[in-house]
Amino acid sequence: MKNRIEELRNSRGIVQDEFARQMGVSRQTISSLENGRYNPSILLAHKIAAFFGLPIEEVFIFEEE
Amino acid sequence: MYYNNKKLAMSIFWIVVGVALMALSISGALDDTVYAGMGGALTAVGVLQVLRNLKYRRDGEYREKIDTEYSDERNRYLRMKSWSWAGYVAILVEGVGAVVAMAAGEHTIQLMLSYSVCLLLVTYWVAYLILSRKY
Repeated sequence: MKNRIEELRNSRGIVQDEFARQMGVSRQTISSLENGRYNPSILLAHKIAAFFGLPIEEVFIFEEE
Repeated sequence: MYYNNKKLAMSIFWIVVGVALMALSISGALDDTVYAGMGGALTAVGVLQVLRNLKYRRDGEYREKIDTEYSDERNRYLRMKSWSWAGYVAILVEGVGAVVAMAAGEHTIQLMLSYSVCLLLVTYWVAYLILSRKY
C-alpha cells in the first residue's frame, strides 16, 4: 500500500521526529511507513489521516497485489 | 507506563536472589561455581533494571522515549514476528536434532527433542484455539 505521508508531512514542514511524537509512535515507524516497508493499523492510519485533515483514502492508496 | 512499582519489586527480588546465590556459593553451601555466576548475572540484571526504573521516574524525556518504544505498534509487530520466527527455528532445529539423535542411537535425546517438538505444536494449537475465541 502506497501512502502520501512524506509528501504531506513535508508540505507542512514537520520533521519525522515531531510527527512521530504527535502520532505517539517511534521515528523508525514513521520512516518505515514512508518507505512503504510497514503498513499501519487502522487506528494509526485513522490518526494520521485525521492529523492531516484528510480522508484515509487520500493518504493511503490501496493497490491490488 | 512501562516501569512501575511491580517491575521495581521484581528487580529488587532478582538482586536478593542473586546475592543469596553468590553468598551460598562462596560460603560453600552450594557446591558449584555455576550458582555464583548465575547469582552475579541475576544481581547485575536486577541492578540495571533498578537504575533504569529510577531514571524512568526522574527523567521525563527518557520516560516518553521508553513509553513510545513499548507502545509503538511497529515494535509490537516486530516482537510478535520475532517470537514467531523463534518458534519456527526451534521446531526445525529440534525436529532435525531428533532425527540425528535417532540415527546416532541416542534414544534419550531423541525422545526429549521429540517431546519438545510436540509441546511446541500443542502450545501452538491451544494458543490458536484460545485466541480464535477471543478475536
